[in-house]
This record gives sequence, C-alpha cells and structure tokens, in this order.
Amino acid sequence: MPVTLRLKRPPIVPLEAEFLSPDVLATLSHAEISAMIVHHGKRRLPLSEFFDVEGERSEDLVLHGELHKLRWVGRGMRRGSITVHGTIGMHLGAYMRGGRIDVHGNAGDWIGAEMKDGTIRIRGNAGGQIGAAYRGAMSGMRNGLIMIDGSAGLEVGMRMRRGTIVVGGPTRDFTGLQMKGGTILLRSGAEIRTGAWMQRGTIISLKPLQMMPTFTYSTTTTPGFLPLLSRHLAPHGITLPTGPYQLYRGDRAVPGKGEILVLA
Amino acid sequence: MGGKVTCTLGEVKQRADFIIYWGGNPAECHPRHFTKYTIMQKSKFLPRGRKDRTMVLVDIRETKSAKAADIFLQVRPGKDFELITILRALIKDQPVRDEDIAETGLDRAAVEDLVRRMKGAKFGCMFFGMGLSMTRGKHMNSAALLTLAAEMNAFTKFVAMPMRGHGNVTGADVIMRWQTGYPFGISFNRGYPRYNPGEFSTVDVLVRGDCDAAFIIGADPGATMPQPAIDHLARIPTIVLDPHITHTSRLARVHITTAPQGISAPGTAYRMDELPMPLSPALKSPYPTDEEVVRRINEAIAKKPFWLPDGGPSPHQWTSQVNL
Amino acid sequence: MIRITGGKIYDPAQGIDGQVRDLCIDDTGKIVETVSGGRIIDATGMVIFPGGVDVHTHVAGGAINFARAMTPEDHRRTQAFIRTKTRRSGLGGMAPTTFATGYLYAGMGFTTVNEAAVPVLSARHTHEELADIPIIDKASLTLMANNEILLEQLEQGEYERAKQVLSWYLWAAKSYGVKAVNPGGVKAWKYGHDAKALDTPIDGYHRLTPGQIVTNLARICDDLGLPHPVHLHCNNLGAPGNITTTLDTLARLEGHRAHIAHSQYHAYGGDGWDTMCSETTVLAEYFNSHPNLTTDAGVVLFGDTVTITADGPWQHLLYKLTGRKWGNLDVENETGCGIVPYTYRPSNVVNAVQWAAGLELLLMIRDPWQVFLSTDHPNGGCFWRYPEIIQMLMSAEFRRECLKKLPDRVKSRIKLPELDREYTLLEIATAMSAGPARALGLTHKGHLGVGADADVVVYEEQVDIQQMFSHPRYVIKAGEVVLEDGDIREAPQGKEFLVRPAMDPATNDFIRPLFEDCYTMKFEHYPVELERIEHPDLRDCQPPATS
Repeated sequence: MPVTLRLKRPPIVPLEAEFLSPDVLATLSHAEISAMIVHHGKRRLPLSEFFDVEGERSEDLVLHGELHKLRWVGRGMRRGSITVHGTIGMHLGAYMRGGRIDVHGNAGDWIGAEMKDGTIRIRGNAGGQIGAAYRGAMSGMRNGLIMIDGSAGLEVGMRMRRGTIVVGGPTRDFTGLQMKGGTILLRSGAEIRTGAWMQRGTIISLKPLQMMPTFTYSTTTTPGFLPLLSRHLAPHGITLPTGPYQLYRGDRAVPGKGEILVLA
Repeated sequence: MGGKVTCTLGEVKQRADFIIYWGGNPAECHPRHFTKYTIMQKSKFLPRGRKDRTMVLVDIRETKSAKAADIFLQVRPGKDFELITILRALIKDQPVRDEDIAETGLDRAAVEDLVRRMKGAKFGCMFFGMGLSMTRGKHMNSAALLTLAAEMNAFTKFVAMPMRGHGNVTGADVIMRWQTGYPFGISFNRGYPRYNPGEFSTVDVLVRGDCDAAFIIGADPGATMPQPAIDHLARIPTIVLDPHITHTSRLARVHITTAPQGISAPGTAYRMDELPMPLSPALKSPYPTDEEVVRRINEAIAKKPFWLPDGGPSPHQWTSQVNL
Repeated sequence: MIRITGGKIYDPAQGIDGQVRDLCIDDTGKIVETVSGGRIIDATGMVIFPGGVDVHTHVAGGAINFARAMTPEDHRRTQAFIRTKTRRSGLGGMAPTTFATGYLYAGMGFTTVNEAAVPVLSARHTHEELADIPIIDKASLTLMANNEILLEQLEQGEYERAKQVLSWYLWAAKSYGVKAVNPGGVKAWKYGHDAKALDTPIDGYHRLTPGQIVTNLARICDDLGLPHPVHLHCNNLGAPGNITTTLDTLARLEGHRAHIAHSQYHAYGGDGWDTMCSETTVLAEYFNSHPNLTTDAGVVLFGDTVTITADGPWQHLLYKLTGRKWGNLDVENETGCGIVPYTYRPSNVVNAVQWAAGLELLLMIRDPWQVFLSTDHPNGGCFWRYPEIIQMLMSAEFRRECLKKLPDRVKSRIKLPELDREYTLLEIATAMSAGPARALGLTHKGHLGVGADADVVVYEEQVDIQQMFSHPRYVIKAGEVVLEDGDIREAPQGKEFLVRPAMDPATNDFIRPLFEDCYTMKFEHYPVELERIEHPDLRDCQPPATS
C-alpha cells in the first residue's frame, strides 16, 4: 500500500517538504511520517497539520489536493514513485537521481531542475526552468526524461547537458537557453529566442519556430537518430514524425554547435 | 559563460573614448551622467574631452539623449537581445544574414560600422538602462550586454555597467551580498539565506501571494508593481517606512514617517558603480531614521520567544548535502 | 578571569616548547602572571597555542563581495550557518559571508586576520564589511603600486612627496599598511596591457619602471616606520618562468624589510605551460640567506575555489583558459581586480606543480619565522582548509600518500618527493601565529607572554592532525571563551588595527587638485572618518631614529 497524503488544510504561505521522497518514506512508520517537520513559511509544523496520512514504509507516494504551494517534493529521489492528483508547486523532482514522478494536474517552476536521472511526467501545464540549472550553476539536467503534456514557461532546459525534455503544448521564451547537450522536443512550438546561446544539443520542433538571427539553415534532412528517440519515447505514448526536418545550426554568437530541427 | 566586466565611473571619465548607452535616456533620467562621468569630461588621456570621445545611443525611440550622441541606432522594440547576440557573432567574424540583421531595425552597414568602432576603441564602455533590463528578456538582456563586453576584451579594453537609480538600491544589493552571499531574492525562512530570483523576489512573492505580511522600506511597490502584487499588499498587514505618504502607505496598515536619507539622515549610499559615498545631512528631522525604527523593532522582537530551534550545524561540519 | 591548567604550551616567541604551565587571563582580556578566582579550564593532555594570525587573506571589500555575487552555485552546496540566539546566519564555501567568515576563522582557532587588498576608494565599504565579521581582530592593507598620483611623483623623482602622498592615502583609507600588486601592471591593464619586465618603463610613463616602484615603496614603508613592511605581490604572477622576475624583484629589496605575498605563485621555471616546473629551491635559498624578508606560502589545495586578485591581466588569461565566468572591476586611479572561479585538479600538471610548490616553500625555507601558512584565500584554496596544510607539513608519510594521486610526469618537475622534513608543533605555532604576528608588527599578538592579548586556542592532542586543528576544544578571544566543544558560544566584536603615519599637513592641499582631476567624488568625502571605524586600535607611526 502506498503512502497517501490528502491535503486537509491548505497552506497560506509556501510549504517546504523536501523529505516527501520515496527514499525517506520507505523506512518510516505511519507515526513517524505524520510527525515529520514541514516548513510553513518560517514555522516548523508536523506533516499531519496539513495532511491526512495513510500507509507507511512504502516506496510509492500518492498526494491528493491543490498543492501548488507545496515545494521540493521528490527532491533528490533515487527510486520508487510519486503520483500527484491535483496541482504541485516548485522544484518537484529537483536533483532527482531515479524513480518516477507522475502529476495529474499542473506543476510549478523548476521541475526536474539539475536532475541526474529518472522520469517525470506532468499531465497538465508546467512553469518555467524545466530541467534547468539553478542560478549560477554550469549545468542543468544531466540525464533522465521530463514530459510535459501541456504548456511550459521560460527557460525550459536551460544549460541542460544530457537527457530529454518533451513539451506537448507551446513553451515561452528562451527554450534551450545555453543548452550544452541533450534533446528538447517541442510538439507545439515555442515563443521566441529558442536555442539562444546554445553550445551543443538538439531542439526538435514539430511547429515552425521563429529562429534566432545567429542560427544558419544547413539542410533538409531525416536525421538518423530520430528512430532511436522514437523508440525511447514510444513506451510513454509519444510519437515522432520521421521528417523531413529543416536543420539549423548555431548559436553562432557562442559560437556553438547546437542543432535545431524544424519539421518541414 | 560570460560574467561581469566593469569599472568605477572615474575610469570612464578618464579613459573611455567609446561609450554606448543602451536602453537608457541619461539626458532625462541621469542628467549629470554626461557632464560628470562620461562624454563631456576632459582628462589627461582624452585632453579634448567630447571631441576625443564617440558616443552611441541604442534605443527604441529617439529620446533627448539622441541629440548628445554621435550615432543613434534605433532598434526595433523587443529586438535588443537579438541585436546584441548578432554583435557577439560579428565580433568573432561569424556570418549573419542581411535579412536577419534587418529584423532588428538596423542595416548591415550600421552594425558593421558599430563593430569596427568597438574594436577600434582604446577603452569602450557600455551603460544599460531599464529599456534593456526591464523589457522582454529582462535579466537575459542584461546578461547579453555584459557577455558582449566581456568578450570584447579579446580585442580591446571594454566594460559594462547598469544605470541604476531609485535611491540606494545598489547599497542594498552590496550589503545583502556581504551578509548573505546573494544580492536580492533571498529567503531566510529556513534560518539561513537562500536565493532564487523568480521564487523569492519581492514581485513574484507578492503576485503568487506567498507572504502573509510585508515590511516596505525605501520603495513604493504600490506605484510600480503589477496589480495582483498590489492587491496582495492590501490584503495582508503591510508596514511602510518612508519620509512621504506613498501609494503603498495608502494601502498599508501601518505607515511610519522617517527622516529622508541624505537630507536629514546620515549613512552611506552606494553609487551605481558600487562606490560608497558618505551622506552628510544638511537638515535635522523631527522623525526617526529608518535605522532607528528598524533597530527598535528588532529590540522588541528580541524580547519574544526565539523562532528557530537553537543549535544549527556547527562550524566545520562539512557536508556534501546541497542546501535548498 | 580564566586559569587554564595542565596544558602543554607552545609559545615560539618565548621559546616555550610544550612545557606544562598554567595560563592566566584577567578581565581586561590580557595574559597575566596569575589570577585568583574565575573559571578554571582543565587542559590536561591538551595543546595550547596563541590564536592564529592570517597574514594574507581576502575576506572583505569590493572584490570578495563581487565574488560572492558571482558564485550562487557554491553557496548552495556549502555549509550553511543557521541563525541562533548568539549567531547570525550565513554561508561558508569559497567566498564566505561576513558573519560566517568570523565563525569559520574562530572555529579553527584563528583570532586575527589581515585583509590584504583594499583600494582607498572602497575602503569605506571594506571597513563596513570588516565590522560585520565577528569575533576576530582585523587589519587591512591599501593598494598603492598602481596609484597614478603616487606613480607620477615617483616618475618625477620626488621621493619625499611620494612618501607624503602615500601617508595621506594610508590615513584616508584608515589602513594598517601598504600592499603592492603587480607594480605598474594593473595600471597598464587599464588599456588591456601588462607590465612584465622590471626595467621597462610602464605603459604611459617615460622613466618609471616596476622595479623602481618596488624599491621606493619598500623604502617608504621603512622610512615611515610602519609596523608592517611593504606587502608585495610581484609582477608576472602565475606565469611559467616567472622565477627570474621574482628573484630580480627580491634583489631590489636589499636593505629593506619586505613581505612577499603568496610566493608559490612566483616560483615557476620553464618557458611555457608544457614545461612549467617548480623553482622553489632557488627561491627558498634566497629567503634562507635574506632574513630581511618574510613570505606566506600561498598554498594551492585541490578542489573548487574562486580566484580574486588585483592582477587584472592574469584574470583575463585565466578566464580565457577556463571559459567559465569572469568578473573584472577597475577602480579609478588606484587599482583593479579580477574574479574567476577555478578548480585545481591533481590530474592537471600545472595545478599539481602549484600544489607541490606551495608545500616545498614551507618545507625548504628553514626558519618558520620567515614563511607562513596561507592559501591567499580564496585564490589557492579556502582559509578553512588550513588544517589540511598543517597535516601535510607535519607528516611526510601523508605527503607521500597525496603524491601518489599526481600524474607521473609531474614528478620530474617538483622537489616535494625529496623532502622529508616534518614540522613540529612549535614550528606550526610559529608559521600560523607567532611569525605572522611579528611580521605584521602586532606585538601583543602571536604569543602568550604577560601583557599579550588573551587570544588562546586549546587543541585536544590527536593522531589525526587535520581533525585536531579543525576542531579546537576551546578558543578564547580577548579573554572570552568564544568556542567550546565545537560550538560558537559568544560572538563579540573584534578590533581593527590602524596606523597614523607622520604627514606634512600641506599634503592635503597638494593632493586636492590632482584628486579633482581624476576622481569623480568630492574630495571631502574621500577619506574614511575615524568615527566610521568600529573598535579602532590606532597606532601613531614615527620614522625610525636611525634611518
């Protein structure tokens, strides 16, 4: 039986609960979980102040409620699963190393920021800085897979080094900003400045993009790695047209060797 | 990855033979900038003053500052980031297509002339204002110009500096840095400083309704912030310290009138180049200084039960754990 | 009042080498012959040192504050100081915040530090920051070797004038002494150039050379009777083959006192990065035959750090080498600084040579009164890693273990594998406390004689040297127990040491027009007022009678 938390008292200010991760909960009894300290603003309160807690000692965690103020869930998790029915706040799965997170609802900013591995799926919309580097850090996500079915905000995949981000809806500005590797798949395009200051990595868009002036059109092609990516995404029900794609290279300002593929 | 390459204003006064103002209107917003620090000054390196200096203004419209400029470049609104990125490519002799340059509102000749002049300068300086840093792209627009300046040092001496205003905002930034390691957007709720602009920056906290009280000092968010932020300030207990009744005071629960800094309250202000300037008050005020009010509030708080459990990690308990 | 009983005292200045004695501290925070009553600390089996003194560090001011802003990623992974009733919050790491700086220094038994690079223009800022560093006492040195008003006097051969101008600046900055960084080179950097040869006139001058600046500053410091001699960062820092420049510089200091900062960075042979090697043998030999000089090692420790120095040209080179972040701040008329985050790696041959060279100097300069512990914090490593250096100095065995991690091709370029010397506790006490205190001219620091400031550190004697020096049992500052059993107990405010050199009152009027020509602030606003210094400890300087 999974550990199930149902929100009973909505937090007024952000609620920080970085221990809500299967690694931690797998060893804790019901009483211990209920007594874990959350930070409601500066106040330290037991988890049971805000949640009805069911279950214990499980690598599966289920959350119910409008949890947009709940932050840092699944921080650094290595295994197990987290399922959210409702919304979820910032830093979900940040620094994650493994396991799976599923959100049936919307999510906040910094989802999967600097994650090393694992899988995150958001069925609704997400905020900005998905899989990104925290301010000042050299690299964002190093591996793993993030899927957003809905839209996403600014700076998606900022400075990411490896791994894959798929966004079903449109993204806002600076998608793939200063990207160093990995793949971003944009199913509904992006606003502006996509791939700005890219060093390496690949952005694939199924919709036309407004290109940065410092990207150069190279050729129209059907890249060899696409079947590989398709196979990687197929288990998640995500399909990918085989092409052809227009290939752009840049960002020449860096100068970088990134690639942007736009479905022709 | 770029960084920040800058100098004090006296260096500009003495050496800068090439000055770019980007997204700012110093003629009206910083009226003494031209005469005290930049284009009008003579120095031992630039004995003919204005004649020895070239000034370029980049803006979306022809402001009064354009009259003072040797070259005015009218960039299309929202295209600053693209133009700076083009410049970054061109200084490295990377190709950029004519039509892509034209998208920014400028033609190739103008942009290449700018690059030539930048590389030909002995000491170049770029100032940028809110027309750059507060328009679409925000911090990335500033980062773009700072990176361009850093990269220009492969060819000649170049620096960049934000044109800051609004009281002692630089001072707040400097002091927060030495006390917490971060300039702004800091949370102390876990007992130590944490930083995340967008999460902890004032406007974002207010817009999301993430705080249940507000203490405003040296600012008038009620006049400048977006409506949801203002609505939240009105909803929660807001306390304002200000010499004047501000927009924020009107929606606050408490307004405390304080002595105006520099006029009747002493202290230190930090100039936009982060040089400290002593304030020597000319007048006496019947009102207490901000510092005195804050100190008395602190003393009152100290009498209340301490809000953190005593005894955090002690020195040298070095852990590999990443702070939040 | 405190009486510490049963501890083994190591007090190099008095020649006490581990004898068991009582140590008495009175209510004014001084060491006294005896006390009656008060607290008794039983230090049986423990080791007692005078509080540590850091002769060269960068903990406050515009440059380190710039570095703090540039490295949020380090603050996130570093030690957080949680606020308590007696302690304010802060962050440790590569560029610790002010409060954390005080706790970290005191936490390893250091009670006095010298901030080694302050431009006069931002001295006001530096003093405000120093006031926010709790517990420890502080001194600061003023950057003078690229000050254009001063250089102009030297160019014209106006020695007396130059001396007056320098005195004026020191007093304006409320400073403790003179720092010289890359004489002439920072000035040249303002147009993107450098100064590498000691006898070539500096960019923009007809006659004045870096070598002349070195000699003149050393002479001025001596003639003014400053407690600390010129504190010199030589030209050509970090460059392969710079040993020639360094020896040439030292030769210009004959007949004067001088302190050579972070000499590790100036002890390289070879003619490029491929051939760079350690030339510490000749440098150590020079120090061994020249008691007029002191130095601090500027040890490099492997790991992440952020380099900050007034040496702008070097920082631009480092930025190009690393492709990481770069901060640069030129200060009008006076100096500049550059900031580049950097990771020293044992696998990198250049870094490995640097690491070895720092230790070699500490081991080959025979007199521990001449060579002191430093990492040039944060350049070679962070100050809170000093216990790692102490362990390497005290254990040849441990050094051999460390050497195994280096690539084989380094071995022919360094001397460290041949060195068997092991520091004794007395020698460690000299290099980390007594020596630097004497070099700084702080007569009441660095020893435990009657009348000295009661800055005392008590260590539990342990086999694990690093553990022992990282976690003192007690730290006493000015007679107050500030650290006990690993916890900061009290965080009192320390003092700031200042000097007031003799000065011709007419100097003010001489400088005013020159100042107004090149600065951008009011002349009256420039000097830091004495009232702005919290807890000043002011010393009037008189020229030595025999000069």
